[in-house]
Amino acid sequence: MPANNKYLTPSPWQRFAKITAAILGGLMVAVLFHMALASWVDHVAVIMTSTYTAFILWALLMVLAFLGKNGWRTWALYLGISLVLGLIFYWGIQTNPIL
Amino acid sequence: MGNRIYNILFHTHTVSGIVISVALYVIFFTGSFSFFRDEINNWQRGHTVSLSDEITISLDGYLERISKDYDLYGRDVELRHYFNERNLNVSLGASKDSLAGEDDRAPAFFSMDTLDGGKGDYQSTYHLGEFLYRLHFLDQIPYPYGRTLAGFVAFFFLFAIFTGILVHWDKIISNFFTFRPWAKAKTLWTDAHTALGVIGFPFQFVYAVTGAFFLLKGILILPVVTGFYQGDENKFYGDLEYNHPEFAFFNKPVEGPVEIDPLVKDLRAAWGDFRITEAHIFNYGDENMHLALSGYLEHKTKLNGLGYRVIRVSDGSTVEERVPMTNDSYLDGVKNMLYRLHLGDYAGYGLRVVSLILGLISCFVILSGVMIWSVAREKNNIPERRRRFNRQVTNIYMAICLSLFPVTAMEFIIVKIATSVDMAFMYQTYFPLWLVASLLFIFKKDIVFTNKWSLIIGGVLGLMVPLTNGFVSGNWPWITIPNGAYHILVVDLLWLFLGLVALWIAFFKLGIKKRVPVKG
Repeated sequence: MPANNKYLTPSPWQRFAKITAAILGGLMVAVLFHMALASWVDHVAVIMTSTYTAFILWALLMVLAFLGKNGWRTWALYLGISLVLGLIFYWGIQTNPIL
Repeated sequence: MGNRIYNILFHTHTVSGIVISVALYVIFFTGSFSFFRDEINNWQRGHTVSLSDEITISLDGYLERISKDYDLYGRDVELRHYFNERNLNVSLGASKDSLAGEDDRAPAFFSMDTLDGGKGDYQSTYHLGEFLYRLHFLDQIPYPYGRTLAGFVAFFFLFAIFTGILVHWDKIISNFFTFRPWAKAKTLWTDAHTALGVIGFPFQFVYAVTGAFFLLKGILILPVVTGFYQGDENKFYGDLEYNHPEFAFFNKPVEGPVEIDPLVKDLRAAWGDFRITEAHIFNYGDENMHLALSGYLEHKTKLNGLGYRVIRVSDGSTVEERVPMTNDSYLDGVKNMLYRLHLGDYAGYGLRVVSLILGLISCFVILSGVMIWSVAREKNNIPERRRRFNRQVTNIYMAICLSLFPVTAMEFIIVKIATSVDMAFMYQTYFPLWLVASLLFIFKKDIVFTNKWSLIIGGVLGLMVPLTNGFVSGNWPWITIPNGAYHILVVDLLWLFLGLVALWIAFFKLGIKKRVPVKG
């Protein structure tokens, strides 16, 4: 019982989009999530927590990326979330500078 | 769960699993032995080590010995006890004395035997425990490639166990009680893979996460340092309390001998069963000389009992301290727990034996996964060419993985017989043996044969390990038990156990082929 092919992604471009969105997009969202959070609350505790939560979140985002129907839309979603998180981070670091 | 999601999860589980399988097997197999890294080293050297995992004093004695070879004045000196063996790691910073000679301005790093004072560089003090420990994060592949590769294997393993547990989610209870050892081969592999995978999930989850962190932390540090700290690495490590404090060098030598043992004794008296694992001396012999002692409370007293004290040596006053009994720092807790959970060293031999068994079970889960992959593709609708390719892949995977067992057993015998063992020797024996054994099994092209004979040869060699140790070093169990040489005893017993289990599996548990298949 290998997985039934009719449910899998046939197009190489779609596969490429899903795999890259899973690995790179997932990493980006996972890291930016922790940085955005760290810029607003106790940053040392959040950074230390990210030593384990970042990898767990990254892996979960990877799983989710493969479940989407269109890999490019997943990319767009992950980039959009990254942008929002990036803005929250930027705003946070300006409001609570640590240096 | 819908069919679409189920099949996607299934497929990503298969692909990620098959890609990492061989590397992951090597990591789990050698990692299981790494729980006994220190024991294996002491076994190989025939050393009896007290079970207290700390720097034994006298520190002054060690420093005196080091100062015979190095002028310590103006240097930062660090003595570290990281592994539970006689050797200490010594690192000497460059002398801050501007008049110091060329030699004294060079940093130095070496290990020192605390009993006979012998000094060795890394290559010559290399031993089998260290070799297997390094192999478990693929460190024999040049840095940073080996470690990064191992890190990604750990991370994709995390992905594989997530998708794996999700695939079985709907049937997790019923499948758990399903075991059909007399059914056809594929059902057997599937049942074993599922049941043991689910049992092992918490264990494997911890190892995947901590392993990924140890090896891929650079991926996290880089964006945080550049984005958050605007490139200020020092501030970053300072915030996370990884830095030592800094003390100015006055360049005024103190008169008379430097004594730090009394300071160590004071600390011990104050902090009960505190174990000092690191002594860092700032500005040795200078008026502004400081001593930082750090370590941990014995785990049974307090699991998260890290602590340190920084002392000004001139007047013995405490500059800064963190008392382990009251330390409830979140940072120390996380740092400590990531290591404790991965090393499984906080609850005595029992936990480490259980961890070893779970590690070897994970090896079995990996191989049964490969077998499912292989057997599921033995179907008429798959072209013969593809099937031959799949069979060959499985054949090679099995040969590389399974030959690891007899080769490792053989290496234990070799290091005991050989007169001198160093890093080069270890590389020159282990890897060629592994290569030859793998090639033999690959050319035999018979997985059943590979499985059976790797277990039989490994089992027989494994039983010979304690015998070899007894004949070569005289450290028979009836000598080591009364002498309290538990490190040596544990390795002998470990191989006795592994050898017997391997032979039991080979002779009593592999007869599946002869049995009549029944519908499961």
